[in-house]
Amino acid sequence: MNPDRTGHPLKILLVDDDPAEHLLLKRTLEKVDGPPIELDYVGDIDSAVECVKAGDIDIVFLDNRLVPNNDFRETAPQLREAGYVGPIGIISSDISGSYFQQFPDFGVDFRIGKDEIDRTAISFIISEYTRDQLSDNCAEDFS
Amino acid sequence: MLMPEAAYHLGPELGRAVNRMDFFRLFKALAFHQQCQYFILSEVAGEDEGINLQHPHALHNLPESWLGKTNGRSVGSDDPSVLQSKRSTAPFSMDLQDHPSSLAGASGAQAAIGVPLHTLAAKRYCLLMFGDTEQPQHESLAVVALDATLIFQRYFEVILSLDSISGLNEREIQIVRWTSEGKTSAEIAIILGLSEHTVNSYIAAVLRKLHVVNRAQMVASALRSGLIT
Repeated sequence: MNPDRTGHPLKILLVDDDPAEHLLLKRTLEKVDGPPIELDYVGDIDSAVECVKAGDIDIVFLDNRLVPNNDFRETAPQLREAGYVGPIGIISSDISGSYFQQFPDFGVDFRIGKDEIDRTAISFIISEYTRDQLSDNCAEDFS
Repeated sequence: MLMPEAAYHLGPELGRAVNRMDFFRLFKALAFHQQCQYFILSEVAGEDEGINLQHPHALHNLPESWLGKTNGRSVGSDDPSVLQSKRSTAPFSMDLQDHPSSLAGASGAQAAIGVPLHTLAAKRYCLLMFGDTEQPQHESLAVVALDATLIFQRYFEVILSLDSISGLNEREIQIVRWTSEGKTSAEIAIILGLSEHTVNSYIAAVLRKLHVVNRAQMVASALRSGLIT
C-alpha cells in the first residue's frame, strides 16, 4: 500500500459526476510535495466499482451525491462489496449534514469539504492513509 | 465577553469530529482564521529534544520538503517557537523576524502563535501556528487559545484518551477475534466492509491498550484476559 515501497506512483481515483472537479483536483495535486501522484477519474459509481476491481487504486475520493444515488451511504458500501480495502474519502461541498458522522459505519475513512482541499490537506491524507501504522513486529505472520 | 466570538467556526462540526482527519481540518481552520498557513500540534518534548511530527498523535500541515526525511527523528530542537513552548504554560506570540523559525521554513511566516495545552493525564501538548499575521493582541490571543483548547479537549476525548481506556470496544473485539482465526488485515477489512487502514488502526489501538507488541501476543493476551473466547 505504501507507494514508496511498492515502487509505483500513488494512484487516486476521483469519483464525481462533475468533470470540473477533476480539473480542479488535478491542479491541486500538481502542487503537492513528494512522490508523483496519478489521478484517475470516473463519473459514476458503477465505473468506480469496475476501476477498483481492476486494482492499483490507493485512495478513492468519492463525491457525496452521485446522481442517481442519494449519498455516500449508498455508494461507499458498493466499493467495499467489490473487495476494495483502500481508504475512501467522501468529498462534498457541504459536509455539515449530521448523517456524515456515521461515515465509519459505511466503510468510509474520512470526509472533507471541497473548499478544504488544498495541497497541505492532500499531503496529510496521503501521509495519514498510506503510512504503516504497525511496526515490523506486527507484520502479517500467518500468510 | 469572549463567548460570542469563541468557537466561531466550530459549531456542530466540533461535536461531529470523529477521526484525526476531522481534527486536522479543525486545527487548520483555526490556524487559517489567524492568517496562519501552517500549524503543528504535538506533544511538548523534553529538554534538548525537538518535536516528533511522525508521532501517531501529532498533527501538522508542514510540507514534507521543508522537513526532509525525518525517519521518525524529532525536528526543531533549536526552533524558538519550540523552545518557547517548553518554557510557557500561557498562550504566546512571537515575531519571527527577530527569531527566525526553522520549522516555518520557506513559508515567509512573520509571526508564530503558540497555545500550550494539556491532557487530563497531565501530558503537555502545544499548538504552534505560523503565518503572515501580525502578532495578535491580548484579547484575540485569548480567543485563539479558547478555541484551541476546545478543539484539543475534543481531540483528547475522541482520540488521545482511547489509549488509557481499559477494555476493548465491540469493533476491536471483532478484529481480535478474526485475527485469532488467522485472518490478515486485508481479509478482515473485506469481511467487515472497512479499509485495511481502519483495521490496522484498531489493531494498533488494541496493541497499546493491552501493552503487547505483535498480533500473536495480542491474541494470547486477549484470550488470557477473557476478552475473547
